[in-house]
Amino acid sequence: MDFTLDDDRLALRKVVADFFAEKSPLPVVRRLEDEGTGYDAATWRAMARLEWTRLGHAESIGGVGGGVLDLAMLYQEMGRSLYASPHLESVVVAGGVLVATGGHPALLAGILDGTSVVVPALMEPSGTYPPEGIELAWDGARLTGTKVLVPYVDNATRLLVASRGTEGVVLALVDPTASGLTVERSPNIAGAPLFTLRFDGVSADRVDGGWAVLAPVLDRATVLRSAQIVGAAERLLDLSVAYAQTRSQFGKAIGSYQAVQYLCTDIAIATHLASLATLRAAALLDLGEPAVQEVSEAKARASAAARVAAEKAHEVHAGFAFMMEADIQLFTRRLRHWELDLGDEDHHRARFAEALLAS
Amino acid sequence: MDPRFTPAQDEWRAEVRAFLDAELPARWERNSEFYEDEEFWKFAFAFTRKVSERGWVGLTWPTEYGGLARPVIDRLIMAEEFTYRDAPLVNSLGWGLAAGALLAGGTEEQKLRFLPPIARSEVFWAEGFTEPGAGSDLASLTTRAERHGDGWLVNGQKTFTTWGSHADVMFLAARTGPVGSRHRGISIFCLDLRAAGVTLTPLYNLGGGRQNHTFFDNVEVPGDALIGEVDQGWNLIMNAFYGGSAYAPYMEHQRMLDKLVAWCRTTIRHGRPLIDDPITRDRLAEMALIVEADRLLTYRSLGDMRAGRQQPYAGALGVVVQKEGMPRFAELTNLIVGPLGQLSEGAPFAPVDGGPEAWYRQAFRNHAGGTSQVKRMVLATRGLGLPR
Repeated sequence: MDFTLDDDRLALRKVVADFFAEKSPLPVVRRLEDEGTGYDAATWRAMARLEWTRLGHAESIGGVGGGVLDLAMLYQEMGRSLYASPHLESVVVAGGVLVATGGHPALLAGILDGTSVVVPALMEPSGTYPPEGIELAWDGARLTGTKVLVPYVDNATRLLVASRGTEGVVLALVDPTASGLTVERSPNIAGAPLFTLRFDGVSADRVDGGWAVLAPVLDRATVLRSAQIVGAAERLLDLSVAYAQTRSQFGKAIGSYQAVQYLCTDIAIATHLASLATLRAAALLDLGEPAVQEVSEAKARASAAARVAAEKAHEVHAGFAFMMEADIQLFTRRLRHWELDLGDEDHHRARFAEALLAS
Repeated sequence: MDPRFTPAQDEWRAEVRAFLDAELPARWERNSEFYEDEEFWKFAFAFTRKVSERGWVGLTWPTEYGGLARPVIDRLIMAEEFTYRDAPLVNSLGWGLAAGALLAGGTEEQKLRFLPPIARSEVFWAEGFTEPGAGSDLASLTTRAERHGDGWLVNGQKTFTTWGSHADVMFLAARTGPVGSRHRGISIFCLDLRAAGVTLTPLYNLGGGRQNHTFFDNVEVPGDALIGEVDQGWNLIMNAFYGGSAYAPYMEHQRMLDKLVAWCRTTIRHGRPLIDDPITRDRLAEMALIVEADRLLTYRSLGDMRAGRQQPYAGALGVVVQKEGMPRFAELTNLIVGPLGQLSEGAPFAPVDGGPEAWYRQAFRNHAGGTSQVKRMVLATRGLGLPR
């Protein structure tokens, strides 16, 4: 039993941290949100050149090896810098599904070299997380129904749609320009490129598998979303501590008041617990364990940490953080999206309880 | 990083379990309480000596001090199994506090003299830190030790002395420097509790046990009872409990959780097993999350120690989580069992053997070793670098 990150992982995290510190400073994060695409094509290509779009996939299928724990180093730093890209959607989820099913080799190759972007369409207007919430109908050739909160559709090569057929959950690839498909941008708190998709008999290319293939892939993605939250929450902690050290009221740094100290320690505790649970879940997935309970522990902790970090950081920064010119709100809004993505705290606590109490 | 135990570690765990199976009566586990009856203490001392005979009390210590020089992770595995089974390994203030401090800062001669009797469970230790006027602000303690011939003369008072009436000696923190010297003028002594001038008066606690006021009236302490160096005791206090041992308090919570889950499976409310009630399930999940948080913090801290890495947040975060988790865990237990939870062990219809009632009282012992508020201040200042 060894619960420390090895030097290779720490070295990877340092390289990644330096990259995103240069490529994704907060003024760039603001600009990309204003421009609407949500991510920078040049930085995405730079990531691909570094082969980070191949990370976590076996060399035999065009990856560079590594596992969830390696990717967690990447995601913590993407969270810390608020760097946005379709990496989770395309490389981890869609790539993971195509690797598991063994089909569509050309599309997979495009995903791994960053030239193709495939985004999963999971959520529907009921607001129920998958698999229960998947109701969009598959009739054997065509899709009819509605998906919401689908990211990066404007830059997608293909959509990976989770639908329901007579045999259960059916996965299908869809051309985002296919006839019968309407795409509508949905304004949201994160300022992210999220879309509502209405399918009216849209022809689609079925992918083998179904929920059995998608579920373990979503678990990997869930752990990585947790790692991303941890990175952003750690940055909020740093910003809050720095502000509390320098902001002076009543003749003293506000960080010397215990009420303010408690706010900062709340962030540290929630974030550290999320970090520990996330790293354990990542390590267990890499060892081939199903780790359903640990994955849900990680996301339940991370979703809680997302709220705690944002709310307490606002308390520390007070009126200043309510101003758009302050950077806190950039984190607050994105953390809200990540908190809810791939299962919120309630969803994962219920799933954690299900695994805990299975007898 | 590998969260799994190795086959060799699993074998060691099996050996520990086999020992406990052989030495503990069936259904030995009790509620989390202090027990003061003579039969309990007789059994506890006999059991502890059997652990000593195997060399396990000083499992991780160097062999010359009575140990087996095993890795700390083996001590953690032992602690997990002992705690889960509620094994009455007494003298934690000896093998934990005193030995930890001696290993960290005792002289070679002191280690050779004090540690082997602890390993053999021959000398039972109490703790003498807290005073009526020095709790969270321990550095303000006023019990004095003054030079007296080759030795020392001790006057003053300690309080909350846990297990004092069972102990032979006390790990005493006394002021040897001038008044106001705070942490720079404190020395540690091994004080014989049977010496003339020592008086213990009982303080009964909410957990069903006896603690004590301990009074010192011109108590003569020999010169070789000093531990560490004169006026350098503060470092020993800071290192108390850390050297060579490992603790798994989350396994006490794990035991309670397992019992409670079993109870929820067989208890019917509103026409269905309580285990199917969504609110109960969420409370059980929160309890398990408390267990896992403490477990992960312990594993991470052990890993950092072994790798020689600095602990995140100056090692000040885990203790806050652990202290704040205790009353919440007991509260959740009681929220689940409902109105009968106020019934004590032995009362008809007391749920889970009266555990929720005992735990609710017992959880307020979480101040031991420093309040969570003090630990939060340490986390804020040392862990996060906020101003004092």
